[in-house]
Amino acid sequence: MKTLFKGGRILDPSQELDIFGSVMVEDGQVVEIGPEVDERGLDEIYSCNGLWITPGLVDMHVHLREPGQEKRETIKTGTQAAAAGGFTNICCMPNTTPPLDNSALIDFILDKAASPDAGGIFVSPVGALTHKNQGQTVADLSSLKRAGIVAASDDGNPTQNSLVMARAMEFCHQLDLPVLVHCEDTALSAGTSMNDGATAAMLGLKGMPRSAEEIMVMRNCVLAMNTGCDIHILRVSTWGGVEMVRQFKHLGAPVTCEVCPHHFFFTDEAVGEFDPNFKTTPPLRTEVDIDIILQALQDGTIDCIASDHSPYAPFEVEVPFDQAPFGMAGLESAVAATLTALTDKGILSPLETVRKLSTRPAEILRLDAGTLKPGGTPVAQVTLIDPHVEWTYDVQRTFSKGKNSPFHGINFQGKAVLTYCGNEVYRDPRFSNERFETPSF
Amino acid sequence: MNGKNVLAIRTLDKGVIQQLVDIAGDLKREVLTNGWAPRARRRTIGLLFFENSTRTRVSFEQAANYLGYTTVNFSGSGSSLSKGETLKDTILTLKHERLEALVIRHSSSGAANLAAEYFGGPVINAGDGLHEHPTQALGDALTILERKGTLTGLKIAIVGDVNHSRVARSNAWLLSKLGNEVRFIGPRTLVPTHSSFLPASTHLDLRSGLAGADVVMCLRLQRERMEDGMLSSVGEYTRLYQVNRTTIRAAASEAIVMHPGPLNRGVEIDDFTADGPQSAILDQVTNGIFVRMAAMQWIFESDQVEVLA
Repeated sequence: MKTLFKGGRILDPSQELDIFGSVMVEDGQVVEIGPEVDERGLDEIYSCNGLWITPGLVDMHVHLREPGQEKRETIKTGTQAAAAGGFTNICCMPNTTPPLDNSALIDFILDKAASPDAGGIFVSPVGALTHKNQGQTVADLSSLKRAGIVAASDDGNPTQNSLVMARAMEFCHQLDLPVLVHCEDTALSAGTSMNDGATAAMLGLKGMPRSAEEIMVMRNCVLAMNTGCDIHILRVSTWGGVEMVRQFKHLGAPVTCEVCPHHFFFTDEAVGEFDPNFKTTPPLRTEVDIDIILQALQDGTIDCIASDHSPYAPFEVEVPFDQAPFGMAGLESAVAATLTALTDKGILSPLETVRKLSTRPAEILRLDAGTLKPGGTPVAQVTLIDPHVEWTYDVQRTFSKGKNSPFHGINFQGKAVLTYCGNEVYRDPRFSNERFETPSF
Repeated sequence: MNGKNVLAIRTLDKGVIQQLVDIAGDLKREVLTNGWAPRARRRTIGLLFFENSTRTRVSFEQAANYLGYTTVNFSGSGSSLSKGETLKDTILTLKHERLEALVIRHSSSGAANLAAEYFGGPVINAGDGLHEHPTQALGDALTILERKGTLTGLKIAIVGDVNHSRVARSNAWLLSKLGNEVRFIGPRTLVPTHSSFLPASTHLDLRSGLAGADVVMCLRLQRERMEDGMLSSVGEYTRLYQVNRTTIRAAASEAIVMHPGPLNRGVEIDDFTADGPQSAILDQVTNGIFVRMAAMQWIFESDQVEVLA
């Protein structure tokens, strides 16, 4: 079986490659990349003129909600949403019910993700950092690692006790597991529901101070520095947090960080008249924060872009703002929002865009992903991106069960139009059939 | 079938605010003359009080009585809400009970907006969380107009726990929209730190904030402020911010003193100022009825309002 991705702009940050050419996949593996490839004996051809040919994209921050919260999302719908969003690798967070704190649950996730009716992409589970994700005692991380976790995290229930976090980092350092940290001081954030600022004061909503995030960014960086453990700051949102990461990187601390599209796309004013689709943690911030985030994306302080896909059932969101849950669905908007807000505006080059959405998160988590190198991934993973297509995001047309998106009705420029993970796992209706050929012999 | 809503002073036009105060004045004269002011068309209005408030509910009931409207009461406890029904479903149910308008009080900011979205007809906000209490501000405006003869060009001092006060927010928007100078006075933990966008200046010192004020509005101090550490003690607050026979002297000599109630006598206000001739506190209570009548009449002034067929 020979498949050719023919004549597009090949962007592979793992090889610093930005050329026009074709990618040949044979028997599920990339075998050749270049301006001219041998086109004899092809079974299928994707004509890629005007498109980017990139390594399959990687989203290292996804809530698949299964087990236990299937009203919000399932592994099936979540992986389908991921494929539709252009992702061939996602990491699922451990704050499920029960939390992912034992190896049987990791087996369950991996089995479900590999089943034929799922999205056909790779799921890398993230284990709970502490037993029951309660922030008290460190989970059985070596068993979890043997079962297949790629990192450990306190996402959804940030560890308040610094001693527990220090111990966890020591264990993770020994096991070579990155720790994905949710930076929030819950004493400072208790009872709050949006950024502490003008809009919150006007609406009479309690504001989450930036200190709630920054104090924990600082603490976790200090602990990483002291223990040597690799940590990754989940969704940094304040300019102060970004500057701390910059300083700690400068000091040699093993720290990486991510930003979510909604944090550079919207400010807290977008909450408008109490729209719960704009409620997330950390909250949407201000123009000043966005300015620093954009700089940090350019200079590499912010390593990657992740969706923090947090789907909820509609009835959970149709409540007064202060009672609504924190979080936004994001798998199917992340790439388009990034292309629209960053690439199209010249903030990031196409190659850097792909690095932040694929190669860099794969490096952080040591995944066999984020590359088009022959043999670099278990099966060939390719995403085709149309950087120019204009379209309007409509939550009613998404695969995710979570319709809680701030991007509903937003006009995007650019979209992942085809996702290939060993075989085709998603083809956008806009990706016309004329582009797909089965040569006759 | 969207009618008019009274959700927040912040989103009401200056002209509408002026109109509501004017209607209230007319209705007050009509009620004082005739004993009531029935409208030709009868209406059924739901009073949804998810938060206890006897005084505001009584005020709305009186307003409805004077207009010849019928009210249906629905309170948070003992209702479907305690059985786990969502606010959305409660509102949809009441819509299909053919209520023509809703008055809602709720502990969540924005609950009235949500109610309006699902009800699809006229909704009056009777206090939502820390957000707004528009009819209180309208009643206060009528009171100021009566006592000061004008609703513009005045210096208004709002003293106390502004951050946790929907009354303060509504009054600040209303009085600044009508061209008055609004000042918030209170300790650093209870006044907005981002006050630039709220139409008021912030003063941490009582005397300088009160200087030359024509209207002094006291806010009720909640006990929770001590529990959550925003104040060290009632005594500290009283020493620094009580409006009393001594501190009121910083204000203009003809200044009036207001309070949305219920009063904590001896805490935010002393007996002398609460009961003295400068007090407008009981006028506020009475005028609250007439502005609520005005609101209940005004929301139906639209051809599009209709109940379900």
